[in-house]
Amino acid sequence: MMVALLLLPALVMFAASFLHTPRARRLLPISSVAILIPVGILFLHAKPWSIWGDYLVADDLNSYVLLVSSVVGIGVTLALLTLDRHVAITEVSTRRFYRFFALFWIGLILSILANHMGIYWIGLEMATLSTVYMIKTNRSAAAHKEAWNYMIVGAIAISLVLFGIILIYASAKPILGEEAMLFDALLAKAHAIPSPFLFEMGFALATVGMFVKMGFFPMNLWLANIERASFYPVAALFSGILESAVIVGFFRFSTVARAVNEAHLVGFVVAYTLLTIFIVAFLIYRAKDFMRLFSLSGIEHMALIALFWVGGGTFAALLHFGAHAFLKPALFLSTGVLESSGRYHIAGALKGYRGVRGKLFYFLVSLFLLAIVSLPPSPMFFSELYGFGAMVDAAESSHHLLAMIGATLLLLILLSVIFYRFVAIYQSMKYEGEAAERPVYAAEVAALAIFAVGLLALITPAAMHFLRSIA
Amino acid sequence: MVDLLIGIFLATLITALFTARLYRLLMWYSLNSLSLGLLALTIGRAQHDGAMIISGLITLLLKAGAIPWILKRLSQRFGLVRQITPNIRIQYAIMLVPAILVFTFYLAEPISHMVEGNANYVAISISSLFLALLLMMEHNNIAPKIVGFLSMENALFLLGTTATGGMPMLVELGIFFDLLMAIVVINLLMRREEMENSGEAGA
Amino acid sequence: MSLYLLTVAVLLLIAPLLLGVIKALKMWLLFKRPLSLLQGYRDVAKLLHKENVVSEEASLITRVAPFLILSPLLIVLFFLPPAVQGAWYVSFVDAFTLTGLMALSTFFLMLLGLDSASSFGGIGASREAFIAALAEPAMVLTIFAVSMMAGDLGVGQAGVNLASRFPEKHMASYLFAAISFFILLIAENGRIPVDNPETHLELTMVHEAMILDIGGVWLAIVETAAAVKFVIFASLFASLFLPFGYGLAWPLALALFVGKLFGVALAVALVEVNTAKLRLFKVPNLLGIAIVFAFLSLITFYVLGA
Repeated sequence: MMVALLLLPALVMFAASFLHTPRARRLLPISSVAILIPVGILFLHAKPWSIWGDYLVADDLNSYVLLVSSVVGIGVTLALLTLDRHVAITEVSTRRFYRFFALFWIGLILSILANHMGIYWIGLEMATLSTVYMIKTNRSAAAHKEAWNYMIVGAIAISLVLFGIILIYASAKPILGEEAMLFDALLAKAHAIPSPFLFEMGFALATVGMFVKMGFFPMNLWLANIERASFYPVAALFSGILESAVIVGFFRFSTVARAVNEAHLVGFVVAYTLLTIFIVAFLIYRAKDFMRLFSLSGIEHMALIALFWVGGGTFAALLHFGAHAFLKPALFLSTGVLESSGRYHIAGALKGYRGVRGKLFYFLVSLFLLAIVSLPPSPMFFSELYGFGAMVDAAESSHHLLAMIGATLLLLILLSVIFYRFVAIYQSMKYEGEAAERPVYAAEVAALAIFAVGLLALITPAAMHFLRSIA
Repeated sequence: MVDLLIGIFLATLITALFTARLYRLLMWYSLNSLSLGLLALTIGRAQHDGAMIISGLITLLLKAGAIPWILKRLSQRFGLVRQITPNIRIQYAIMLVPAILVFTFYLAEPISHMVEGNANYVAISISSLFLALLLMMEHNNIAPKIVGFLSMENALFLLGTTATGGMPMLVELGIFFDLLMAIVVINLLMRREEMENSGEAGA
Repeated sequence: MSLYLLTVAVLLLIAPLLLGVIKALKMWLLFKRPLSLLQGYRDVAKLLHKENVVSEEASLITRVAPFLILSPLLIVLFFLPPAVQGAWYVSFVDAFTLTGLMALSTFFLMLLGLDSASSFGGIGASREAFIAALAEPAMVLTIFAVSMMAGDLGVGQAGVNLASRFPEKHMASYLFAAISFFILLIAENGRIPVDNPETHLELTMVHEAMILDIGGVWLAIVETAAAVKFVIFASLFASLFLPFGYGLAWPLALALFVGKLFGVALAVALVEVNTAKLRLFKVPNLLGIAIVFAFLSLITFYVLGA
C-alpha cells in the first residue's frame, strides 16, 4: 500500500510522458509535489517501519534523505518546464527525458528505502541506466560520447558494488542465511561475522564502486565531463538525488563496517577521501566553466560527507548532506540560466538581470555561491565546524593523534584553496565582463526559492534537533 | 563436471580477450554464458536448490541465446564495426593475462579459505572479473565494451553462485531485469545515433 | 617387449596413412573426389626410385640433414606413453627431453632450408624459427603441467597414471592443457591456420619452402619425418588427454588407440576446412593463446589445485 503510494507519482509521470500534448508537462510538478504526501506519512509513523516486509524499511535516516530528495525533485521538475527556452531540445526528447526521469525516480526510491542490499543495488542500477538516456537527450556529439562513457564506467562501478555485496553476503551467510542481505540483520550480528576479512574486502570493493560512481579518485573528471556535455537538469539530478542514494548506501555499509572493525574503516575512508580532495582542489583551481566547477565541488562535498560520517561527526555529515543536496542542484539549475543558449564565460555572468525576477535570481545565485563555500549563515558552515570538531575529538581518542591532526590541517589548506577560487570567480562574475540582457522565467526562480527555503529550514533548531536524533 | 564447466568458462573468456572479430566475440560470450548456465544447473541439481535451477535456465535462455542474438541483430542493423582489434598488443597481452591470473589467484587465496565448499571457484570468478575488465579496457569500439560489461555480469553471477551457494531469488531476478534494461538502453542509444546520422545526411 | 615394439611399428606404419586420411577428409568435406588413402605410401615408393639431385651450392649438410631430421623423431617414438596395458614403456623421459628432441629435428630442417642457398629456403627457415620459438615454451609448459597433474614428471609414466586414475579434481587445468596442446599440435605440424601443407605459394608456405630443393630418397625421408611428427603429437594427445580404454585386452586397446589417432586426424581436418590460414604475423596470436593456456593450466594447478 505504502509502496504503491510512494511509487504512484513516478508512475503518473511515466504515463504522462506518453501523452502527446505539451500540456501534459504541467502534470510534472504536481506529481512531484504529490510525493510529499507519502513522505510526510513516513515522518509521522513510528520508526522503524517495514513498508514491504524486510526489503523496504523506513527509519529516520532514509526518511530524511527521501524528503530532501523529493524537495530536490520538485525543484528540478519546476525548472524542467522552461528547459526548452534555454537549450535546443525537441518535444519528443523532452517527453523521453520525463519518461526516464520517472524510471530514475522509481529506482532511487527503492534504493533509498532499501534495507536489503540486493534491492539497493537493483534500484541503483536502474537509476544509472535511466540516466544514460537522460544524458543522451542532448543531441551533440559530446553528449553521445559521454553517454557511452557513463554507461561503461557506471556499469563498472555498479558491478564493483555488486561484487562487494556478494562478498559481504558470503561472509555473513553462515550465521544469517538469506537474512545476510539485510542491513539491520547484518548490523545486529556484525560482531559474530565468522570471516571479517571477507566482509572488509567486500566492503572495500563496494565502497570503491560507490565512490567511483560519485566521481572520487580516480574518476574525478569523468563526472565533470558528463555533466558538462548533458543538459543542466541532469547535473542537478545527479548531485541532488542520485548521489543521495549512493551516500545512503555508504552510510548503511559503513555503519556495519564500523561494528566489524572501526580502525580499518576510518583509515581506508580517510585516506581515500583525502586523496580525492587533494586532487579535486587543484582541479577546481583550474576550472574554467560553471558546470565543471560545480561538479568538481560536488565531488569535494561528497568526500567531506563521507569523511565526517566515518570520522564520528554523523550529525555534521547529515547536515552537510542536506545543505549540499539543496545547494548543488540550485547552482546547476541557475547555471542553465547563466549559460542560457550556449554562452558560457564566467566574467560578467551575474550582470544584466533586470526586473523583479532578475533581481531575485541575482540575489539567490549570489547567496548560493557564497553558501557553497561555507560562509557563516550557511548550513555548511555549521556542518564543517561540527565535522572538524568531531574529527579532532576522534583524533584525541585515537592512537594516531599527529596523523589525524595533520590530515585535518591538510584538508583545511585544500579547502581554503577552493574557497579562494570560488570567491575569485564570484568577483569575476559580478565585476568583470559586459552586461547582456538575459531572460529569467518564473519557474526557475520558484525552483531556486524552494531550495533557499529548504536551506533555511535546515538551520532551524527543530531541524538540527531532528538531525541530532538520527545521529 | 563442475570443474570442467568452470574451466570452459575461463577458457572462453580468455579466448574472447584475443578475438579480433565481433561475431566471433559474441560466439565466445555465448559459450561463456552456456557454461555458466550449465554450471548453475549442475550445482542447483546437486544442492536441490530450485531457485538456482530457475536462474540457470534463465541464464541459458537469456545470456546464451537471446542477448548474443540481439547484439548480432543490432550490429547488423546499425552497421557496427566488426573488425575489433584490441588496443593491447598481443605480446603484452600474453604477459598481462597470466600476470592478472596469478595476482588474482593469490588475492583470492585468503578469501577462498573462508568460503565453504567450492573454494577454487571464488578465485576463478574473481580473476574472470578482472579479465572482463581487461576486455572492456582493451577495446575502443562500443560493441566489445558491451560484451565486456556482460562478461563482467557473468563473472559476478559465477561468484554469486559459487561463493554464496546462490543469491536470494529476488536479487537474481532483479539482476536479470536490469540486464534486460541495459539491453533496451543500448538499443535506444544506438537507434538515436542512427537517427541523428540519417538526419544529418538529409540536411 | 613385443607389445612395445608392435605399438611402435604400428605407429610408424600408419603415419603416412594419417596424413592421407586428413587430406582425403578435407577433399570429401569440400565436395571433391577424395584421393586414395594409400597415396602417402605411393608417394614414398615413387620417391625411393628417383635420383637425388643436389643444388651446386649445397654442402655436406644437405646430404646429412634428412637423416638427422628423422632420427630424433624416431627416438621420440620409442619414448611415448604406452598404448596398451602391459606394454613396456620408458618412464623417465620428461617434457624437456621430448621437446628438445623435436626441436633438434626442427633445427636440422631449418639448416636444410638454409643450405640450399635459395631464397625460398631462407624464408621458410626463418618462418619456421619464428613459429618454433613461440611453440616450444608452450609445449614444455603444457606437457609439464599434464605430468604434474598425473603425478610423475616422466611422460610415459604420466600417461600410465592418467589412464589408471583420471584427475577429476583437476578438470579445469586439465582442460586448459588440452586446449593448449591441440593448438600446438596444429602449429608444430604446419596445419592450416599456421601453415598450409598443400600450396607452393611463396607468401604462405613454411614447411614446403624449406624442402623445395631436395628430391628423391631425401625428400621421402623428410616427408616421412613430417608424418612421424604428426603421429607423435596425435598419440601424445590420445594418451595424455583421451586416457580411456587403456585396460582393455591388448588387441582391442590397440585398435581403440589407433581409432583415437584417427579421431585427432578428423578434428584437424575439420579445423582445416573451417578456418582460413592466418597471416604470418597473426600466428603469434594463436600461439600466444597456447602459451597463456599452458601457463594458466600450470598456475591453476599449483595455486588453486583445481
